[in-house]
Amino acid sequence: MDYLYLDNIDEFVNDQNKIVTYKWLSLTLGVHVNTAKQMLYHYLQQKRNEGSGTPLHATYLVSGKCVENGSKCHKVSVVREDKLNAVKAKMDVTISVHVYSVQRAELKDSSPLYNTDYDAVKENIKNCNKYSTIRCAAAVPMSSAEVQRAQEMALVPPAGKEISKTGLNENTSATPKPSAKQPAGIMGMFASKNASKSQESSKEVKTEQKDDSSLVETSKSKTASKANPMSNLFGKSAQKKADEKPNKSVKEETAASSTAPAIMEQSQTSPKSKIDIKDEQSKVSSALKVESKDTRNKTKRPEVVDSDDEKMESQQKKRRRIKKPQPDSSDDEVVPDSPPVPNVQTPSPKKQVKREPVSHQEVSITNNTLTEKGYVSESYSESEEEPEPNSQAKDSSSLKQSFGKREEEKKEKREKKTSTANKPTKQPSIMGFFQKK
Amino acid sequence: MIFYKRDAPLFIKGCCIYFGCFSMATLTRQDLNFGQVVADILCEFLEVAIHLILYVREIYPSGIFQKRKKYNVPVQMSCHPELNQYIQDTLHCVKPLIQKNEAEKVVMVIMDKEHHPVERFVFEISQPPLLSISSETLLSHVEQLLRAMILKISVCDAVLDNNPPGCTFTLLVHTREAATRNMEKVQVIKDFPWIVADEQEVHMEEAKLIPLKTMTSDILKMQLYVEERTQKN
Repeated sequence: MDYLYLDNIDEFVNDQNKIVTYKWLSLTLGVHVNTAKQMLYHYLQQKRNEGSGTPLHATYLVSGKCVENGSKCHKVSVVREDKLNAVKAKMDVTISVHVYSVQRAELKDSSPLYNTDYDAVKENIKNCNKYSTIRCAAAVPMSSAEVQRAQEMALVPPAGKEISKTGLNENTSATPKPSAKQPAGIMGMFASKNASKSQESSKEVKTEQKDDSSLVETSKSKTASKANPMSNLFGKSAQKKADEKPNKSVKEETAASSTAPAIMEQSQTSPKSKIDIKDEQSKVSSALKVESKDTRNKTKRPEVVDSDDEKMESQQKKRRRIKKPQPDSSDDEVVPDSPPVPNVQTPSPKKQVKREPVSHQEVSITNNTLTEKGYVSESYSESEEEPEPNSQAKDSSSLKQSFGKREEEKKEKREKKTSTANKPTKQPSIMGFFQKK
Repeated sequence: MIFYKRDAPLFIKGCCIYFGCFSMATLTRQDLNFGQVVADILCEFLEVAIHLILYVREIYPSGIFQKRKKYNVPVQMSCHPELNQYIQDTLHCVKPLIQKNEAEKVVMVIMDKEHHPVERFVFEISQPPLLSISSETLLSHVEQLLRAMILKISVCDAVLDNNPPGCTFTLLVHTREAATRNMEKVQVIKDFPWIVADEQEVHMEEAKLIPLKTMTSDILKMQLYVEERTQKN
């Protein structure tokens, strides 16, 4: 048996500090994907047995069947090595486990995995499954007329999208859900929540949604796309089913989601939600990757101190509470056994990454007058944690309040005189020695 | 000369329209349009790279980041408004320097609690004097190179030691020759003054150099390396 490939992999991983995924390896060395997986496994074993040199990290692809919310589903996920056993244990039947990638760095999220494969696949796009075992007779390139038609259709909102079954294997992404379901999902989620606060928040969600629909034209597409990743959180948890990702990605492409900002803000400020929080990872803004699943982890979210903050924050995307990050638990695809699967592009399963909970931070923008022009910069206060209501207290009703805040915020931005003095706490001012004038 | 920037207002629109939208045209360096194109591309890239470094090096908690798409791959960008504003404004001021090819390096300095630099991510930029774009494929090639740089930043953890907690960052620009004199005359952004950087932020003692990635293309040459302090704690 020719063991040169071990040296090759060693060179890629250690010398070039590359991420070697099985797909990339198979395309680079021109071998079948199963061979590539074996090679990676063999390499990993050898290096671990030697016990020398730099530590290696690996990710694995696990697929198996499990029952979620009473429905059986087939789950495929890319997990980090340290989570492997936990994920395997959660599945009823583990169908396959293999090495997905080997690298030196400990990856914090799954984006580099996708990045690694992107160019390799792009170059071999016509025959990217040359070395793979996945075959589908119906998968032939579309003619240009069909492509154009598909593009036009993609611009239409995806509500009530047809989901057609294809013969793809379990590695396909989940089905898209109509966007209309999302607000319902969030409402449902909030309704099912215990404590009165949830009712309060649901009211706020409603008012925010109204606000947002009227403000949507003013919101930049950036914020809309920003909202989408977060918006998954509650939509998914409420439905406890997979498959919103494609939906979201399409939404992002259309760059308009009036509910998304509300959802995002709500997700940011949601109080003690015992619900499973979806993995943040799945909210990739890239239209290609699509996964959404329930997280199995419950997050302990800090309680919202006062509802004022919630309302304000929901309106102002600029002011955000830095919440404990959602654990990136399951970046896996949950495909229900029976329902049909749409013809979406081949996804790449994501990695499970757990994030550490972070302390709660609140940011506010205060008005500080500028000092003189020239080389003395504006002075800004060190006190960054002023509660928002102080600087923003306006009308009483939440609706008007959010409107008012939005306008005021815009004015603030336009005024060059006032400086946004508050910086994130991590950047203490070293201009402090400049005199406040 | 070195400039140093802090706060600022203003908002740049990143334009990714250049990728794939260029018709067959040969532009030379003298063409202002072309300089703007390169500057736009570079500033967009720097913004993404800075956010990614903040994420990877854990300068800010990962909760403020969310995935966005750039160059057709997912990247982590911060949602924090003031942080974003600061980065955008800094790059907005750097852009005219790049247009005129006066910016030599853009440096992202990561400092510990005592404001001593622990890491410096240096983006060395140079533009060939006679540039020409001939077709769209050039820009998609540039996109590919930038993607590779993004990937390299994502795995830079492997070659760098961990930073002490409580780090902050700042952005510096090194300019060539007498560019600074012009900067003093023209305030690019109102109330966002340029300030000469402190010596201690510019030079780092006991630094070791770790190259990360080099990219060479017809319109732009960029090198990314990290100067890392040997003793971080």
